[in-house]
Amino acid sequence: MENNAFRDRNFADDEHEEIPESFVCCVCLDLLYKPIVLSCGHICCFWCVYNSMNCLRESQCPVCRHQYYHFPTVCQLLHFLLLKIYTVAYKRREDQTLEEEKKSGFYSPQFDPDTCESQAKFGHSGIPSSSSVTNLTSNSCNVGTSECTEQSGSTTHERDEGIVYSNGEADIAGTPAQTQEEISLQQKLSVADVTCTMCKQMLFRPVVLNCGHVYCQTCVVNNTDDDTLRCRVCQSPHPRRFPKVCLELDHFLEEQLPEEYRQRRDAIELKQIKVKLETTPSCSLDKGNKGENKDWWSDPDSKVHIGVGCDFCGMFPIIGDRYRCADCTEKMGFDLCGDCYATRSKLPGRFNQQHTSEHKFKLEQSNIMHNIMLRLATAQLGDTSIDLESVGNLEIASDGPTLFDDAVDNHSDSEATN
Amino acid sequence: MIDFARVQKELVECSKDSEGSGIKVSPKSDDLVQLFGTIPGPVGTPYEGGIFQIDITLPEGYPFEPPKMQFKTKVWHPNISSQSGAICLDILKDQWSPALTLKTALLSVQALLSAPQPDDPQDAVVAQQYLKDYQTFVSTARYWTESFAKASTRGIEDKVQKLVEMGFPEAQVRNILEAVGGDENLALERLL
Repeated sequence: MENNAFRDRNFADDEHEEIPESFVCCVCLDLLYKPIVLSCGHICCFWCVYNSMNCLRESQCPVCRHQYYHFPTVCQLLHFLLLKIYTVAYKRREDQTLEEEKKSGFYSPQFDPDTCESQAKFGHSGIPSSSSVTNLTSNSCNVGTSECTEQSGSTTHERDEGIVYSNGEADIAGTPAQTQEEISLQQKLSVADVTCTMCKQMLFRPVVLNCGHVYCQTCVVNNTDDDTLRCRVCQSPHPRRFPKVCLELDHFLEEQLPEEYRQRRDAIELKQIKVKLETTPSCSLDKGNKGENKDWWSDPDSKVHIGVGCDFCGMFPIIGDRYRCADCTEKMGFDLCGDCYATRSKLPGRFNQQHTSEHKFKLEQSNIMHNIMLRLATAQLGDTSIDLESVGNLEIASDGPTLFDDAVDNHSDSEATN
Repeated sequence: MIDFARVQKELVECSKDSEGSGIKVSPKSDDLVQLFGTIPGPVGTPYEGGIFQIDITLPEGYPFEPPKMQFKTKVWHPNISSQSGAICLDILKDQWSPALTLKTALLSVQALLSAPQPDDPQDAVVAQQYLKDYQTFVSTARYWTESFAKASTRGIEDKVQKLVEMGFPEAQVRNILEAVGGDENLALERLL
């Protein structure tokens, strides 16, 4: 049958690289490209997450339907990890995605050495960043981190130098593809590729914050001193609840670096750190967003910017004030929500916009007529855009349903019976 | 806009274990927009022994929008229209997730055959019968399975071929055969 043809076409180019199921995106069914880890711990490609988000209200994880309201940033650690161990397939995905991006005019974030270095500097302000290493083809960011790791490791931690199998740059940069095939996965992978942002040791039960930075679960728990969970590297707040462990990555580490994984587990158990997820202070944004969301359904005056997200915190869609950059020329544009506008982010845009701090913003009005029409349309169609369960979760009903909510309920009931 | 690379992967994946699951998906045309799936009737139900054909149309936004599925084989079930074959299933509507595939969707349809939801009916007549006169429902459903879902999978193709060889256009033959529920003689009468 033609199935054979499909198989040949799809897998011919990276036959020698066997991609484990854990790194296959559940949406495109291909190797993860520019992976995003959602707060439930599930991983999808950048564009797969973007395309599966709901432009009207909360989005759901494609796997577990966990609700989220902020478009997370690409997890660079995973990005460079996959690039390193599945180079051929990852490059193929890169070409493929770039092709699609050129067609659509929307671009995903590019991790060129400059951005990585600036982030590295930003993150490890006390440690000189490795400006000597600028390698476009491989992971300058990761090498940067690993050097930092080694520096801090040698001084602060009693780290076994033998853990590092391959020593960073020379291996990655210079190895031609053919010899790379011969190198087993274990040899390609080193602990330096998978270290925690906080403790600089190998990740154990990793969690990924909304900004894409990866921590050990215990490192985040131990270091939250106020209500808001903030990333130690970029200071961005992590919205909503404490993120769940990225199990795919955790299992991968356990499998590929069993000795180190066991050491880490023992060390953490020795410290008798008890992870009490229930008592973890949730981020203050949590409450705020629930309120916002409630407002958008029940408050006829709420300003929803349909299909527009904040380029800093990732809120999607923006509810409330929206500031649009007047100088960015990219098709995607550059937008900030009211809160982020007030804090003036310095981070690059989420879609590779060349936004600078000199650019001017203007307040954008949400289209009121559009909103009203949308409400009517969703109330009439009912089935596709209103998920009663999620409405229930947001506790709209218990907080005094409005006419609009009633209409939705009634309609769904009547629809169910016909 | 449809992610054809993914559709191809799904087809490969599905063909790998079609022996085990009994679920098959094949493209109807080269463009991979129109497909058809077949599911075996679940054991221990009135649909047991039947092979049910389902028409699948992929929307522009697939996999971010659910595939459109409709029974091609006539089936007597509270959540499936006995007239049009339309399926009332949440994951094919608002509960769709891009992590679902054609195969998992067909598995859900198969599960729906085992577990009718008469409180959320697609076909009110069938649902009424299911609730009020379950025995009659079972025998009707079994009769429909016998008449439409058995042997007809091969039978229909044979009939189509026969009628096409008589000189009728294939599309018309298929439509009429479908309209008369697969009866070759009735179809011939209509065609003439």
